Amino acid sequence: MAADYGALLSPTSRGRRFKANLVVALAVVATTFALVPLASVFLFLVTRAAGVLGPDFLLQDPPGDLSAAGGGIRNAITGTLEMTALATFIAAPVGILIAIFDTEVGGRAATGTRFFIDVLVALPSIVVGIFVYSLIVVAQGHFSGFAGSVALAAIMLPVIVVSTEEMLRLIPRPISEGARALGLSRWRTYASVFLPTAVSGIFTGLLLAVSRAIGETAPLLFTALGNNFFSTDMNEPMQGLPLLIYRNALNSAFPAARDRAMGAALVLVLIVLAFNLLGRWLVARRKLSRSTGQ
Amino acid sequence: MVGRIRSKAGPDGLAAGPFARRRLLNGDIVFRLVAAAAAGLTIGLIGLMVFDSVQAAWPAFQRFGLDFVTGIRWSPSFTIYGALPFIYGTLLTSAIALLLAVPIAVLIALLVTEFLPTQVGRPVAIVVDLLAAVPSVVWGLWGLLVLVPFMRPIEQGIADGPGRLIPFLGPPTPGPSYFVAGVVVAVMIVPIVAALTREVFATTPRLQREAVLALGGTRWDVIRCVVLPIGRTGLLAAVLLGLGRAIGETIAVTMVIGNAPRIGGSIFSPGFTLASVIANEFNEATEPLHAESLVGLGVVLLVIAIIINGAGVAVRRRFERSAGRGR
Repeated sequence: MAADYGALLSPTSRGRRFKANLVVALAVVATTFALVPLASVFLFLVTRAAGVLGPDFLLQDPPGDLSAAGGGIRNAITGTLEMTALATFIAAPVGILIAIFDTEVGGRAATGTRFFIDVLVALPSIVVGIFVYSLIVVAQGHFSGFAGSVALAAIMLPVIVVSTEEMLRLIPRPISEGARALGLSRWRTYASVFLPTAVSGIFTGLLLAVSRAIGETAPLLFTALGNNFFSTDMNEPMQGLPLLIYRNALNSAFPAARDRAMGAALVLVLIVLAFNLLGRWLVARRKLSRSTGQ
Repeated sequence: MVGRIRSKAGPDGLAAGPFARRRLLNGDIVFRLVAAAAAGLTIGLIGLMVFDSVQAAWPAFQRFGLDFVTGIRWSPSFTIYGALPFIYGTLLTSAIALLLAVPIAVLIALLVTEFLPTQVGRPVAIVVDLLAAVPSVVWGLWGLLVLVPFMRPIEQGIADGPGRLIPFLGPPTPGPSYFVAGVVVAVMIVPIVAALTREVFATTPRLQREAVLALGGTRWDVIRCVVLPIGRTGLLAAVLLGLGRAIGETIAVTMVIGNAPRIGGSIFSPGFTLASVIANEFNEATEPLHAESLVGLGVVLLVIAIIINGAGVAVRRRFERSAGRGR
């Protein structure tokens, strides 16, 4: 992109130059316009939610009654972290194995799995909730954090498969040739060569999947259900930050519920951003090392 | 079994060669079986879940037949379940969202790929992507506490003024509405459509751009004559994939659409979408037919989402193939 296109832009008729500038101006206006909600949501959270935050808000459980003031969101934080962690433990190995299946086996079978992964991407998250409800909650006879984790895993799975497949496809040819030349078996090739080579990319995909799953509410509504009390038991209904925000927001006529929803929203956004930015930073760093290194 | 799934070439594109048969050791067979089991189990589970849900919704389909989709009345207290108000709400909010989001997303993509130098364009793209990082429930909260109060007087002004003459813009305007829901969904799909469009524009062959510039064209001429015509298919795919996301959007919409189970005559009236009625009523559905009908709504939503996303993926593959050929 080193070419100087500016030199090619010799004077043209004023009308056409005006049109060109008009489009640039329009694009700038549109981009600014699109960022207004982002600025507004951050301003809203920082100005109105920051006052709610404090050690008590993070370390205490909410009062049983939504309209009552005081208490914190401890149960929702632990619930979200616990369910997301279990979802990652379910989705990561399965997703990586599916990606390996697609690249290694290929052919018609892989086309079939890709079709199903496309279906999984297309699934509205509320439908995932209904599916897991009819598969697990009905079978178990009660709502549970475990069911919530499975629903989150279904959200994460396609993200992990797609990013892992991309990383496996990017493995430089000399590396696979080297593995072949050493006479490594295929599983040894993956275990000792391909996966270690692609590990940072796969990890980035994982982080982005986690940052997506942490913020999901709809899949948890009919699976984890929510819980006003502190619980780490995966067999019990479990609270999550998005659920807590949703239920309190629906009762935002009560100042206490509104404040709780806003404080929890700020905490959730900070957690999601941490995962998201970490993932992006790793991507950027890898690209940098690839372009400067070697 | 193992013989059937063995491919001629590995992921690296290297032919397996005459030694391949010997190289497929016991460990490799186990390895492939494990990978195949992961894929097979997942597909089986998805299939089972779809089957389970269709089965769970079957009584509702059986009882109402086609009326389930075309019925305009949804009344749990009279055990009448017609999904049309929600299908209407889903399509209306998605249409509003697309009308607002697509032009903005395309202009963002143009700014980033065509007008800004890479060092400035990349940060802009990252900031736009941050819109997608904010969780749905947070957009809903923002919509409820910031956007609805902000929009209410505007909606009222339009409804009481020009809205009296123009259909779909009339009163009543309680605040939460199809329109506000459409705006929130637009905010959420702008980053998705912008990212997909950016990818499309970035694949425009450089020679074609330079040809227009060499003929004395402006940057707008490059966009008009090269970038948009070549990227047309890719743009369509981006719109379809954005629409797929818009249709399934649940929580944010539930919080700002007003939850009224009827076909609102104005875009400023409260309504319901397929996803939001499920979110709102499923936990309270004690009567079996009510729950079955809600699962039925889920199946309807699933069918719509798969058709739209399937079309999006198919169009996108087509674009990628043609872009690959062009280079």
